[in-house]
Parts: sequence; C-alpha cells; structure tokens
Amino acid sequence: MAISAATKAATDALAVNRAPTSVSAQEVHRWLQSFTWDFDKNRSKYPTKYKMANDTKEQFKLIAKEYARMESVKDERQFGSLQDVLTRIDAGNKVHPKWNETMKVISNFLEVGEYNAIAATGMLWDSASAPEQKNGYLAQTLDEIRHTNQCGYVNYYFTKHGQDAAGHNDARRTRTIGPLWKGMKRVFSDGFISGDAVECSINLQLVGEACFTNPLIVAVTEWAAANGDEITPTVFLSIETDELRHMANGYQTIVSIANDEAASKYLNTDLNNAFWTQQKYFTPVLGMMFEYGSHFKVEPWVKTWNRWVYEDWGGIWIGRLGKYGVESPASLRDAKKDAYWAHHDLFLLAYALWPTGFFRLTLPTAEEADWFEENYPGWHEHYGVIYEEWRKRGCEDPNSGFIPLMWFIENNHPIYIDRVSQVPFCPDLCKGASTLRVHEYNGKKNTFSDDWGERMWLTEPERYECQNMFEQYAGRELSEVIAELHGVRSDGKTLIAQPHTDKDGKMWTLDDIKALNCVFSDPVDAL
Amino acid sequence: MSNNANSYGAGIMAKTGKEFADEYFAEENQVVHESHEVVLVLKKSDEMNIIVEEILLGDRKDDNPTLVVEDRAGYWWLKATGKIEIDCEEAAEILGKDFNVYDFLVDVSSTIGRAFTLGETFTITSELMGLDRKLEDLES
Repeated sequence: MAISAATKAATDALAVNRAPTSVSAQEVHRWLQSFTWDFDKNRSKYPTKYKMANDTKEQFKLIAKEYARMESVKDERQFGSLQDVLTRIDAGNKVHPKWNETMKVISNFLEVGEYNAIAATGMLWDSASAPEQKNGYLAQTLDEIRHTNQCGYVNYYFTKHGQDAAGHNDARRTRTIGPLWKGMKRVFSDGFISGDAVECSINLQLVGEACFTNPLIVAVTEWAAANGDEITPTVFLSIETDELRHMANGYQTIVSIANDEAASKYLNTDLNNAFWTQQKYFTPVLGMMFEYGSHFKVEPWVKTWNRWVYEDWGGIWIGRLGKYGVESPASLRDAKKDAYWAHHDLFLLAYALWPTGFFRLTLPTAEEADWFEENYPGWHEHYGVIYEEWRKRGCEDPNSGFIPLMWFIENNHPIYIDRVSQVPFCPDLCKGASTLRVHEYNGKKNTFSDDWGERMWLTEPERYECQNMFEQYAGRELSEVIAELHGVRSDGKTLIAQPHTDKDGKMWTLDDIKALNCVFSDPVDAL
Repeated sequence: MSNNANSYGAGIMAKTGKEFADEYFAEENQVVHESHEVVLVLKKSDEMNIIVEEILLGDRKDDNPTLVVEDRAGYWWLKATGKIEIDCEEAAEILGKDFNVYDFLVDVSSTIGRAFTLGETFTITSELMGLDRKLEDLES
C-alpha cells in the first residue's frame, strides 16, 4: 500500500529523532508555545482602555498535569492535618475565645473575596490576548474556586469542632444588618469585577493580592498561632501558596500594558484609586481584628502594615516600577495615618454598633489598654477613657439597659457612612484620615470621609448607589431589624452578636434590645 | 535575631512608641522608596525545613550574605538583597527523593519580587522580569 507524504515525513523524522520516553513539564510547556495560538484579534466581552500586549509571559510555566498534581498535594496535606491530628487534639476548642470570634469575620469575608475573584480572573482570561497570560489567569480561576471552598471549610470546621458555632455557620444571612459586610463587598466584589478589566486586575492582583494578602493571609497566621489557633495557619498558608502566581499575574498585567500610550495617561490614577479602595477597608478592619480580636499580641498592627504594605509592597513592587512611570500612590500619606489610627476609630464604632454584627466583641482589658498606650501614645486619653466609661455603665450586661450607641447619641457624636467605601466614621472622634464632606445629588445627600473616595464618586456617582443601614432602616426599631434579618441564634431570641466573650456572662436577647427602644435615624437629615 | 539590615525587626521596626511614630510620620517616609530586596515566605513542611536548614543556611549560605531567615510560627520568612535561588535538583539529592520545581511550589506561600521557574530552578529577583530582562523558555 502506498504511504502518504505526511506518513513518510513522520517516519523519517522518527528515524532520526527517536520518540522520547520521558519529557519534563517545562519541555511540554515550551512545546505548547509552538502552537502559537493567535489571540491577537481577540474580541473580548470585557474591554479595557489599555492595549494588552500579545507576547506577555507566565512566570511559572504551568501545565495542567503539574498544576493538578501540586494542588492535590496541597489539599492532601491540609485536609490530612485538619482531619487527623488537629481533630484528635481538639484544636477547635483550644483557640482563644476572642480569636474564635475574629475568625468568624476573616474566613467568612475572605470566602466572598475568593468567590468574586473567580469571576474577576475569568473576565481577565477573556480580555487578555497573550496565550501564556491567558494560561496564568486560567490557573488563577481554578485557584479561586479552591480558595472559596477552603474558606467555606474553615467556617465548617470551626462550626463542627470548635466553640460558639453561631456566626461561623451561615454568617451570610446577617449580611444586611450591619455596615461591615457592605464595605467588604465594595473591596472584595465591586473592586474586583466592576469596570475596566485592567483596573480590576490592578485592584485584585496588584493591590489586593500582591499587597494585602500578605497581612490578611500570611501575617494573620502568626496571630492565629499565638492565640491557640492551628487551623487557620494550616489552611491560610496553603491558600497563599497560590497567591504568588496571582501576584505574578498582576505584575504581568502591568508588563503587558507598559508600552501602551494609555498607561502614561491612566495607570497612576488607576493604581491610586485601587490602593485607596483596598486600604480604606483592609487597613482598619485587619488592624481591628488583629489587635482587638486577640488576647496575645504579636506586634502593633502599624508595624505589620509598615513592613508588608509600605516597605515591601511599596518599595519592591511599586518603587521598582518607578522608571516605567509608576508613581508612589498620592493617597499614601493618608493611608499611613489610617494604618496608625483608623483601626482604633473603627473598633470604637464597631463596639457601639455591636448588636448589628455576627460575632462577639470584647472591650480591651487593663493589660491590653497598657499595650495600646505603649504602642500608640495618646490612645488612652482618646479611646481608653471612653471604654472605661462604657464599662462603668455596664455595657456588657443586658441588665444595664445600655449599649454604647446610646453614648454617641447622648453626646451628639453622629456616625456617618462613607458613600464610596461604606466604612462608618464619626468625624468628632476619629484620629485617622477622615473628615466629613457632603454632596447632594439626585435628591439624596451623600457623605464622604476622604478626598480620594470623594474624587472617585465625583467621576462616577452612579457607581456608588449602595444604601447604607441608616437609609435602609430609618424609622425602624433595632430588635425588629435584627430579628427580621436573622441576627439571632438557634433559640430564636439570643443575639448572635454579643459585647463580651465571657462564657459565664449573660447573653443579650431580642427583648433586652427591644427594651432600649433604639430607632434608626439617618444622621444626614440633620445636615 | 540577626543584625542584618534585612531582618524582621531591623530599622524602624526596632523602635517603639513615640520614636517609631516620629520616623513613621516623617516627611521623607510619605512616599515609597525603591527597594532591591526580595521576600519569600515558605510554609513549614519536611521539605522546606530541610531546604532552609541544609541548603539556604547550609551549603549555599555564602551565595548571598544578605539573606535573612526567620521563624514566624507556621512559616519561614526570608529576605535578601538581589535574589534568592533554589536548585530543585540539589534539593532532590538532599531530600533523597524525586523533587521537581513544582513540588517546591507546593509550599511557597508568598513572594515579594519577581518569582519565576526555569527548568528545575526557582528564582525570586528584584529585577523587573519582562521589562528589564526577558523571561526565558527552557532551551532544547
């Protein structure tokens, strides 16, 4: 039978080069590049004002088989530890009760971020035109699915094996009561998936992941370990083993647009907006969770922030890109002020608004107050004296008939919500970089706490329409809102949130809150 | 604790209270400063513990005297000026088992700098890969 030219060519080639008996993963990767998929005329559903280059690389040379093998080993190690030794030593009950509450917030919120990052990286896969860049984004999409499941598993684990399950289980049902969820959705959802695709990459990868995952997912494991929690380091350090590829993806996004004219016009503004968006929430919330949500302190939050955000992310990522026109974020000065004070400002408000949460908070002890004063000179005079007064009035005891929100009303210290970040602030009392400014637009008064958010809102006011809790519940009584929005435990009357973690302390119920007759009103009405 | 400028508690981190605040809020520290350091976070595991102790702090200690390694509970925190490089063929020999660069990535928890693989070598560098220098593919 006659053979075709193609068969003859293949036979001749194999005679000279025998078929390989083994091939390394990186040889496969190189071979895949020879397919030279042409995405140059890619039509994306998610356009960007930047032109992404067609020859951008992926730094780790992933192929599907090695990716799957790596991730399965990670999961095997993680679940092996959790289900064997950690369960056997009753690790869930060895966590300090204050830190147990902190993990209700951190793992639930991170789960939302990971979930939105699935969509964000899917969008970026669609927008990019370089095959290797697409490969990197695609692996990240798979990672984000893994991380969503991991965070869900942390909550499940704490619920099943730990103490005080309420808040670990199904925290999302409480999401509309208090202000913390809405701010989180601004950074973890809107920031990652709304708007220009490259802007989303800057928010998610260059700032969210390259900068803030280091305190959020790495440094947090030190705080966890110090407070008896071996579960969080086991899972979070495994999550972070994927984040380095995400950071590289963010960097390669910048590489892909570095020579585009649009970069000289827009990149510094987009970077500054992303930095401010992410820091405005992460800086105070993480600082509050670490310092006020722990018993054993690792180091002052401002030092953690200075190391991971200012020196390392600022110097090693942003500083090095200076010669390509990337500038130090204009908002850095205000961010640094926030890193020193904003978490103290936020705890003051979070404790005042404790019934609207899904976790338990604790006032600083005398020993902790000394630690705060030593590390933040001026803390006691400004914040400590307020906590002493609240404690004297019995704020932890339901029989006292006092929640600290009443103290704000009595002393005429109105609490506003920043329209852009959704972060609450009290202009009279804050020492962070927040001051009140108001804009009336489309028949509605909008309050803002800083120049940077105000500037973003002036550019795109339609993007920030989210109703805050004062607008949403104006005229309604607090216990009625908590009951309607699932803020109670399985007995149907005890609040999930509590102003203490004392296992012998009396728990607040809906009746205790009802007796206070707290009715929501919108403070902007008085402006 | 090392006296190396790259150590975890070096520079401003050694200061407390007002002394820390004065430097933190100083005018010159209100913008980022370019840094040629790199940071690597390795999740503790049998393999990483041996790589840190036997290679980075052992046979290869003299390769980069600026390298600092600190124990931060669940992870090793490494910082160096310039670059940190790990040859996974060398690691495999010490570990006494197959161990390629993807096995190494299983426990690399974070990188600050440009990290990449080439063959069986993992590198994190302060160089701007893709901008100052091209990322290479494995040669035939």
